Amino acid sequence: MFSGDPTLLPLAVDWSSLTDSLFLVNVGILAGIYALLALGLQLNAGFTGISNFGQAGFMAIGGYTMAILTVDTGLSFYVSLPLSMLAAIAFGLLVGLPSLRLREDYFAIATLASAEVVRIVAQNAQGLTNGNQGFFCNDDFSRCFDDKWNSISATIIGWLQDLGWSDPEALFPLLLVVMLAVLLVTIALRLTQNTPWGRVLRAVREDQDAARALGKNAFAYKLQSLAISAAIAAIAGWFLALDLATVHPTDFEPLVTFFAYSVLVLGGLANYWGVIAGSAVLWALLEGTRVLKLFPDDADTAALRFAIVGLTLILLMAFRPQGMFGKKEEMVLGD
Amino acid sequence: MTEAAAPAPAAPSDAVREPIFHAEGVVKRFGGIRAVNGATMQVGKGSITALIGPNGAGKTTFFNLITGFYRADAGTVTFDGRSIAGKQPYTIARLGMVRTFQITKALSAMPVIDNMTLAAPDQPGEKLRNLIIRPAASRSREREVHEQAMELLDVFNLTKLADAYAGTLSGGQRKLLELARALMTKPRFLLLDEPMAGINPTLGRRLLDHMQRLRTEDGVTFLFVEHDMDVVMNHSDRVIVMAEGRVIADGEPDEVRADQAVIDAYLGGEQPEPSS
Repeated sequence: MFSGDPTLLPLAVDWSSLTDSLFLVNVGILAGIYALLALGLQLNAGFTGISNFGQAGFMAIGGYTMAILTVDTGLSFYVSLPLSMLAAIAFGLLVGLPSLRLREDYFAIATLASAEVVRIVAQNAQGLTNGNQGFFCNDDFSRCFDDKWNSISATIIGWLQDLGWSDPEALFPLLLVVMLAVLLVTIALRLTQNTPWGRVLRAVREDQDAARALGKNAFAYKLQSLAISAAIAAIAGWFLALDLATVHPTDFEPLVTFFAYSVLVLGGLANYWGVIAGSAVLWALLEGTRVLKLFPDDADTAALRFAIVGLTLILLMAFRPQGMFGKKEEMVLGD
Repeated sequence: MTEAAAPAPAAPSDAVREPIFHAEGVVKRFGGIRAVNGATMQVGKGSITALIGPNGAGKTTFFNLITGFYRADAGTVTFDGRSIAGKQPYTIARLGMVRTFQITKALSAMPVIDNMTLAAPDQPGEKLRNLIIRPAASRSREREVHEQAMELLDVFNLTKLADAYAGTLSGGQRKLLELARALMTKPRFLLLDEPMAGINPTLGRRLLDHMQRLRTEDGVTFLFVEHDMDVVMNHSDRVIVMAEGRVIADGEPDEVRADQAVIDAYLGGEQPEPSS
């Protein structure tokens, strides 16, 4: 499929896997999940000026609560979804109430620590979370949190087949739902952006003392921003759980939050649509570079993939610090 | 100077009729330093009162204390008959006691017009749930507010800059924007920290005229910190002098100018001539 002179390609590359539909579905789902995480961060960092580094923790609360409620209490899947969002919001308020009074950098540390608390509790509270085993269907299928989803997914595949697509990927329905969720959340956030509410958020981002001097309760707005972001992260948590068919502590390491911030940097601050583009680019780079076969040892190549992503971010900072869709004025004038 | 040796304030309480603001014995310590050391003052309703004093006298700290940005270690503060000590800055602002800052706090990455409309009170759309259940109320209030904002920008010669980012304004323009923005809140008591600093004389005159008009037409009370003695002596009804964290004089401009303690502490022994 690549028709150029092969001697121009210094690397041994297998391009065919890039057009493989399984590959595209997987990248699409991951990009969608990280877009959701980063949409919350965009609300926090881009529009409220608070550096929430606890996104992985809120995501974990979403995934675990959904799994625990469905499996252990036998609640309906549909009921467990909103409840898990409420749990993430409650945790967001718990974290935000004491820590949002801190200076920006200390708030970042506090949220990062809170996410680690969630992960480590998940690792050790065996009875509740199954510890390092995680949630997954056991041998007698008595602990499956995704039964309901699997039947929904089968229905969607049935529809697709009725439409004449003979062999859709098993995860294609998840991709559809994730994309829909990303679209809805983006539109909802975008709608708030130019409202008086969104204007107060931006004022808090610019200078919270100025906002307070004009009669705005800056703290309450920061708290709302964090709670909404936590709720969106919980949605990302469900999708990750459904994608992997497990809920496991290692899925919620701080690296997840850092990747979500990379999405934000790539897409540009203070632009919700940029988040989607940023996530697509990040995951296309991360997963697309899997086709590189530079070294006989795959582990070496894997390390190089991250180097390529890092280099991309450095080049972006050097030549387009506002990201793909960010406004340079807002960035330069920000301080 | 020890507390016992401090001179008594020049009988301020009976000189102000109908005070809108009253601070009594306000103290703020930073470590061992008493930045404000028992400041007591009253501001008459509808007056233009100047607050002067040497650098480090505690004027800005006093502003921060009475507007809720700092918590006082002692003292009482009342505005319009109710105690505001320990209240949050946004609560105090909503009561109608609004301040500006010595170092301007323009919301740089927001357009000038958004700086203005932000400040308007009673916008239902600032609550998330109202955006869903009463979107029309938010929109109609927004139209009103936009109109008021454009009128005020016109007063301060900022109309052309309405859509510019506030961060691109000059220092003087930011000062004007901050004042215009404070006026958007419909304040009853406006506290201005060095409003004239960095503004050209023509605009400064306009600003002073506007203050006079607001006082006569809307009954707005002003308390402003200023170092320009011409402005202080010619445009205020009362002058309060602070030094070393306390009020050392309080009276009409001419009385204060003749006060020996003020001359020693601030005016530097030489009596300033009234400007022509």
